[in-house]
Amino acid sequence: MFSNILKKDLSRRTFLKSTAATALSAGLPSIALAAGEPIKIGFLAPLTGATAAWGAPGLSGCEIWAEKVNAAGGIKIGDNSHMIEFVSYDNEYDPAKARTGATKLIREDGVKFVMMLGGDTWPGVQPVADRTGMLFSTLLPSDLSPETTTLLAPTEVHPIYLVTGVQWLAENKPELKTAVMCAQDDALGLPSVATYLAAFEAAGIEMQDEPLLFDPATTDFAPIVTRLLSTSPDIVCLDTCYSDYVHPICEQLFQQGYKGQIISATADFYDQLIAKTSKEFMEGFIFQFPDFDDPALNGDNINFDDANGFYEEYNKRFPGQWGAVSWEYAAIMQLWKAGAEKAGSVEPDAVLAAMKDDGKGKHAFGDADWWGTEMFGIDNALVGDWPVVVIENGKAVIKGFKSIPAWYEQHGDLLIKHMSAYDQMWNQRG
Amino acid sequence: MRNFVIWVALAIALIVLPNLVSFSQQEVLVFLTINILVVASYRLLTLTGEWSLGHVVIMGVGAYASALVTKELGLWVPLGIIVGGLASALIALALSVPLFRMKGFYFLIGSFAAGEIIRLLWKRFRDPFGGAKGIKGIDPMPDFSIGIYQFDFFEPVSYFYFSAVVVALCLWILWRIEKSPVGLTFHAVHWQDKLAQASGVNLRRYRTMAFVIASGFAGIAGALLAHYIGTINPNSFDVEVMVFVLTWAIVGGTGTFYGPILGCVVLTILNEIVLRELGLEQTRPLIYGLILILSILFMPNGLESIVQKVTRRKDAK
Repeated sequence: MFSNILKKDLSRRTFLKSTAATALSAGLPSIALAAGEPIKIGFLAPLTGATAAWGAPGLSGCEIWAEKVNAAGGIKIGDNSHMIEFVSYDNEYDPAKARTGATKLIREDGVKFVMMLGGDTWPGVQPVADRTGMLFSTLLPSDLSPETTTLLAPTEVHPIYLVTGVQWLAENKPELKTAVMCAQDDALGLPSVATYLAAFEAAGIEMQDEPLLFDPATTDFAPIVTRLLSTSPDIVCLDTCYSDYVHPICEQLFQQGYKGQIISATADFYDQLIAKTSKEFMEGFIFQFPDFDDPALNGDNINFDDANGFYEEYNKRFPGQWGAVSWEYAAIMQLWKAGAEKAGSVEPDAVLAAMKDDGKGKHAFGDADWWGTEMFGIDNALVGDWPVVVIENGKAVIKGFKSIPAWYEQHGDLLIKHMSAYDQMWNQRG
Repeated sequence: MRNFVIWVALAIALIVLPNLVSFSQQEVLVFLTINILVVASYRLLTLTGEWSLGHVVIMGVGAYASALVTKELGLWVPLGIIVGGLASALIALALSVPLFRMKGFYFLIGSFAAGEIIRLLWKRFRDPFGGAKGIKGIDPMPDFSIGIYQFDFFEPVSYFYFSAVVVALCLWILWRIEKSPVGLTFHAVHWQDKLAQASGVNLRRYRTMAFVIASGFAGIAGALLAHYIGTINPNSFDVEVMVFVLTWAIVGGTGTFYGPILGCVVLTILNEIVLRELGLEQTRPLIYGLILILSILFMPNGLESIVQKVTRRKDAK
């Protein structure tokens, strides 16, 4: 209250100054980084609830990454080296809690960068980002718009990479010609539906029915699966269902005798899925998130440091918990570290400029371009190759890397058509 | 005079309070203030003996209505908040026609179904409700100055003061209603319905009245929330949130006006501040659930029973 007395205008600059003053007076870290002072990074994602599988494993991955970086001397900013420290806040995938978390991380903990899952939670955080100028990252580029100048999607270009799975499927199993799809009716499900529709159309695969959208509160998937199978499709597409949906849907597909192809964005904890169904049932399951012990990740094109070692350490500490996001937040940190070291600063503006310096970035799966003006209204998504993963003999195997920009160059009009139909283009959202 | 001093002291405490807590706790304070109105309005409905599972969706009706009239029609935000309350009350009036053909458990399930229909409509009609992604970029309260104080509604302290005034006014109205002959009739409808009916009380009319009034205030709470966080979506008002409202009411107790408010304050502080500060982020649901079970086992009359015991002892002395 008292800081507001007689105050007529609060610009971003005065806001940052007042935050620094308050932080100093409260004995919290100041904005300028002292020699040897640890760099704090915010982790603002769901750690509990239905979407926790896309938050908590990422935090575990970040801790492993930080230990490794710190053991090697930390991050070099100018002449000083700094240790990395993560500060987490469970936003429960709720925009109000995400706003509270962003406030805490920035104004109390003094973080220099905040990683988020994004989606429903980003609009709650956006006013905080606008006001503070803090650099944020999201796994969901559908959060991007011309207004989100300090938001980056540097690792996962959800859902655009999904086209690579369908492209591989069409090239390798051309006999499969019909598909059905189901998805939860939310901010993650809908753009994903539009992308799969574009990818199927580009691949000449016919949709037998409208995508079946179910409520996120759904727990009984028997009727959904029965309806999906009623047209005897060659392919069942599970869109970007959370693992809490992928598992019961697969169980139902198994119980209802489905023997065809399944394609999905994720297959988190697929070993449990195999245990619930059978190795034969899961054989050939296509998804997009590899295990990092895959030999294909040792290639020269891969920019994720020691992917195999990271996977081994992760499984040692968190057995059975490897999931789609286990490596993603760590990969974002790798990009941020390179940006900060290049800029010689951890301040958001400087790191952002350094990361996007020449329009290219070192994405985990290969060198990539900052892209997205047409799709998102801003080129803040790092887009390049993405792996196609298939379960073979009970194990996820990378079958190849496909170029997203190359697909987009050929079929971008289809993607825009379907995204527009679902009101998912940047100028249609909100 | 004693009451006047207490109220003045409370007002001063509320003015000072946000300046004594951290930035994130100020944010929690804003949401707590709004939730107090939700749970207090819910209690008004329970006075007639009916428990609804649609109260949070009705709150959402107010949020959507206020967001739309301010965003699409350019209505001034404070007026939008009032429109939000009225919209919720009107929807509740319409819903009361089928719902109050039922009682007890059937009303509970009916209210859940009605709420789900409303939520599905929000999802189905992207225009104007924004579909599953909801509405973003909702107009914030316009900043203003009162001479010595600049209200900047991005700041949680300013919004806390604003919402505290609105909620205090609403609580005062709810209190007056409960203490009025209408409120006494609500109690009679619950505890002595046959006798009340024999005395000429139209049970259905009073149940409808409680439902509509409670919904109107829930709508105001929803509108307050929407204009603070700037975004709403159907999941913000789902049954999980309703379970929280129910637990606040049950743990606090619904026998007194302050019971559900006490439940809301204690459980919110526990869940959002204490457990987080203790570094138990990922185990919060487990601990929260355990505390709920223990409190129901050992305090079946809610937290309000502790207050009653303490005040009785003081009175006896």
